[in-house]
Amino acid sequence: MSKTLTLSIITPQKPLLEETPVESVSLPALEGEMGVLPGHVPMIVQLGFGSLRYLKDGKTEEFAVLGGFAEVLRTGVNVFAEGADLAEEINEEEEKQKIKRAKESLSSKDADIDFELAELEIKQAIARMKVKKHHLG
Amino acid sequence: MESLRDIRQNIKAVRSTQQIMQTMKMISSARIRKAQQAMENARPFAKKMLEMAADLKQEVLAMAEPEGTESWASRFFLNKTGDPNKIGLVVITGDKGLAGSFNAVILRAVVAFLKENQDKQVSIFCVGKKGRDFISRFRHKNIRIVYHSVGIFPKVAYAHAELLGDAVMKEFFDNNLGSVSLIYNDFKSMGSQRLAQYELLPLQLAAGAEKEKDETDFEFEPGVKEIFRLLVPRLVKAHMYRVLLESQAANLAATMNAMDAASKNAGELVGALEVKLNKVRQAGITNEILDIVNGAEALNG
Repeated sequence: MSKTLTLSIITPQKPLLEETPVESVSLPALEGEMGVLPGHVPMIVQLGFGSLRYLKDGKTEEFAVLGGFAEVLRTGVNVFAEGADLAEEINEEEEKQKIKRAKESLSSKDADIDFELAELEIKQAIARMKVKKHHLG
Repeated sequence: MESLRDIRQNIKAVRSTQQIMQTMKMISSARIRKAQQAMENARPFAKKMLEMAADLKQEVLAMAEPEGTESWASRFFLNKTGDPNKIGLVVITGDKGLAGSFNAVILRAVVAFLKENQDKQVSIFCVGKKGRDFISRFRHKNIRIVYHSVGIFPKVAYAHAELLGDAVMKEFFDNNLGSVSLIYNDFKSMGSQRLAQYELLPLQLAAGAEKEKDETDFEFEPGVKEIFRLLVPRLVKAHMYRVLLESQAANLAATMNAMDAASKNAGELVGALEVKLNKVRQAGITNEILDIVNGAEALNG
């Protein structure tokens, strides 16, 4: 059995990672973190908001994943994420701005506001910031 | 005969129209790059999702069901309990004309489709102003527009696909549709579009791509039902997103080509008018010379 997994991370907007050979993957499953090594039992897992890490050539890379699901095969992992960002590319300041804007629109009395969307945005921004902090620390 | 002034005015008008068409062509060609990029970026997601769905079809088929009932997930794959006399149709056109036969091709296909299914109840989902305006003119008890959205081109986002997908799935279940078809233009190349028409639901999966049993024997976390509830709508939406992007790129390409042809024609028209202008002017000069010569002759005589 080969010692690597092929990892794909795909969002509806664009593929972030396509069939990259990695040594291991850790997924933010809904019921807790889940590690995947080559030869894992085929599985379909729902993902929550959290961090996805993978080990490639001895180095760990980290993504913030915002919901979706993953298909685990013996030879690889396909992650279908609603949204995903490379941890290094997350800008905390930007996320804070997003939260601020979403909160403002929530507290305004305008009837046309999409509450669910604003709440989702806040949740996503917080998740991204958490991953970023974890990545730095 | 037209006067010089009339012809000059005519030339001016044609030139300014040509300018507008050239600008529209430039706008389209600037946008098409981005549209194409978005389309290519969305392809892997839709493709991989379909691959996975093909793997999962086995799981759905394996689920035991009492006679006459059908599980939520199975509806998408087999749709045994849907009413064959109720069907859905998703029509995607552009918001504007000026794109050659882009919209006409689709609308012709829609008319053919409706004729073929005359005796069925058709629920229509329209994207694009042209399609909505055209279809809303049909006054027939069997034809109903359930959902329409206009003005999303050329800025299609995943959110639009979500709205459309939600509407289609809601109608599919609430009204117990037998099938849902799609009619739109596929982006084939910069120079050509192709009319695409096929059934979206129940999901059409490429056969023969079945893997070994070992590969497809999945475990599910949380449960298989939860996963399906999550997965299938996303599959439909991802597909919608791809279709919208294809249509968007195709529309821009069609506009570009139509405007290019039109501005070429305008150029030819200006050429013809200029020849005419010169002829008229020359005729005027000749007449004047004749007048002068005749006048001189008369004085001499």
